[in-house]
Amino acid sequence: MLKLNPQRKREFLELMARRGWDMLLFYGDTWRKDHFRCLVSVCFTGPQAVALLTKEGEVRALVTHPWDVEPVKAGTGGVVTYAPRLVDGLKQLLRDAGKAVVAVNGLEQMEARFAHVVRELSGGAPASATADVEEIRRVKTAEEIEWIRKAADLADRGYAHFVSAAREGMTEYELVAEVEGFLKAHGAEDNFMLVASGGTEVTGMKPPTARKLQRGDSVITELTPQINGYYAQICRTLVIGPPSEKQLQSYAIFAEAQQAAQDLLRPGVDISDVARVQNDVFRKHGFGEYTGSQYTRVRGHNLGLYPDELPHVLENTHYTVKKDMVIICHPNTYLPLSGYMVFGDTLLVTETGCVSLSRTEKRLFQA
Amino acid sequence: MKRGLVSWDKVNELPLEEMDARLAAVHAVARNRGVDVLVVYSDVWRSNDARYLSNYMPYWNRAFIVTPLDEKPILLCALSPRVYPWIKTVTVHETIIASPSPPATLFKLCAERGWKRVGVFDLDGLPEDLHAELTAGKVDLVDIPRTELRPAPTAIEVRMHARAARMAREVLENELATQKAQTDYELTGRLELVLRRAGAEDVVILVSDGEGPPIPAEGRPVGPHTSVVVAVEYNGHWAKVTRNVAGVTANLTSPGGATQLSEILSGPYSWENEAHGVAQTDAVISLQLQIAADGREFYYGDTCLRNQEGLRVL
Repeated sequence: MLKLNPQRKREFLELMARRGWDMLLFYGDTWRKDHFRCLVSVCFTGPQAVALLTKEGEVRALVTHPWDVEPVKAGTGGVVTYAPRLVDGLKQLLRDAGKAVVAVNGLEQMEARFAHVVRELSGGAPASATADVEEIRRVKTAEEIEWIRKAADLADRGYAHFVSAAREGMTEYELVAEVEGFLKAHGAEDNFMLVASGGTEVTGMKPPTARKLQRGDSVITELTPQINGYYAQICRTLVIGPPSEKQLQSYAIFAEAQQAAQDLLRPGVDISDVARVQNDVFRKHGFGEYTGSQYTRVRGHNLGLYPDELPHVLENTHYTVKKDMVIICHPNTYLPLSGYMVFGDTLLVTETGCVSLSRTEKRLFQA
Repeated sequence: MKRGLVSWDKVNELPLEEMDARLAAVHAVARNRGVDVLVVYSDVWRSNDARYLSNYMPYWNRAFIVTPLDEKPILLCALSPRVYPWIKTVTVHETIIASPSPPATLFKLCAERGWKRVGVFDLDGLPEDLHAELTAGKVDLVDIPRTELRPAPTAIEVRMHARAARMAREVLENELATQKAQTDYELTGRLELVLRRAGAEDVVILVSDGEGPPIPAEGRPVGPHTSVVVAVEYNGHWAKVTRNVAGVTANLTSPGGATQLSEILSGPYSWENEAHGVAQTDAVISLQLQIAADGREFYYGDTCLRNQEGLRVL
């Protein structure tokens, strides 16, 4: 099965023509595979993989693990070279570059020694294509939206499993094990997940600890399963045992803030306003100070091949929302009522507004 | 996902004395090289060197571990200060500085503390943007091979890799023996569940159906020709173990006709082909064999210590 995204390839070729680039390299490493996968949708095994797109439309790939050759070859239908030393592979890949103008998607993440090779062989500093490619990636294709829908569906089922598995006396990491096992058994390639449990002492999420869940705890999580490269996210909070008045009061504020974002999100709005309407809810309830960076990170972000794509939903970030962007709006923050709380859905921007791809009930859950 | 359980057992696994000895060795490198401070880069998947020095294992983002002469390492990272109390419980770091740009914070520290010469382990291995920012600064940079940071795995590192290998081996062999899974998705899910319950920090599973190389699960049936590669990270130490349903094996040290792949597990990345970096005689490695039998390809492998005495399965 070919795993070259034809629409993206066409858009990247148009970008190259606009910018005057002769060659566009897509450099992915284990952390940022998305820089490679936006052209060649193969989950590679080695530390790095590079795809080369020429202005004539030819695609060649370079992999650093022998087990990646076959899947990448099957995915691209083109030439794939195995180079255990990426420096050597790049030299071979670019040996005919001459005075070609070369751009690199993912240049910032590329080891400097690899960028040196590109510079030497093309006779000039490579241009960074990262921002331009990100802008193209921000608006999803119909096929990409289908993958994100599947990921959102799995996030829903994963959260249902989270609720059914959580119980008093269980450690945070045992709960995460349950969810990871469930998601992988149902087709997730990966999952980005943070968690925390406790009361007003909880100021944020992190990897799971050996802390045991206790009656009255708020247990907060963001689940971000990945299907065929694409992530969707859900944020919910559950309480071990009956929730307190303060937990309910806190939840009501988060639900109101998230709904405000969902009501506003549509093509043409400034992403800063999507943050502002969420923060305004906290301000209205007298908790405005908890919308700053001391207590929270972002009020949401774009989703796709990377679980934390730009733009971030922040009052000081300006970006005009476009149809077919997929954004999670989550007013996650600390409140003195019941500690850090999370709540958010994956939203698909439509022509007139947005629809939530998350089906999980909007409520404070109880275990 | 990165990370699962991140913990630091100072009594049974990684004593403070070991971390003190590593720090003393790094201070000696700084003195020998005539630098005021040493820098180690870290990110989500290139965290092994930072883990060695300070036990810092990021779940997200990039960082510099900055070690001044005769001082404890300082962490420069872009993670929120809200998680610093947690970071301090699992690392040696007492000072953590919020740094959207680690080079900018490093330059500020250099100016404040009069550091003139900055040693960077594997300067050219830095991501291009950080490298450009750092080399454009007004400090004297000294590139130091990372083999000076970690010349050979310590006995405690070897023990931790062995613990990870044992965990992977026991869980994988048990799952293949009981064969409860119908598909590679189900098998992957079972392995994730059991390994993470046992305290694994990260798990990566690849499956071969005997027709092609091991790849991430695709929903294919588990059958007699299935081979499974399990990579497990336990408190910052990786192991890789491969078994197959048919029980096909070969001698890892003299594989005969089997194709051998050797990957270093004690390098900067979680694993990388040995040819990728500078070959180190003393290293924890993964040996993977591709064995042809009955017209199919089977995979078998394990985690080994390689040193002057030879090769030993951990």
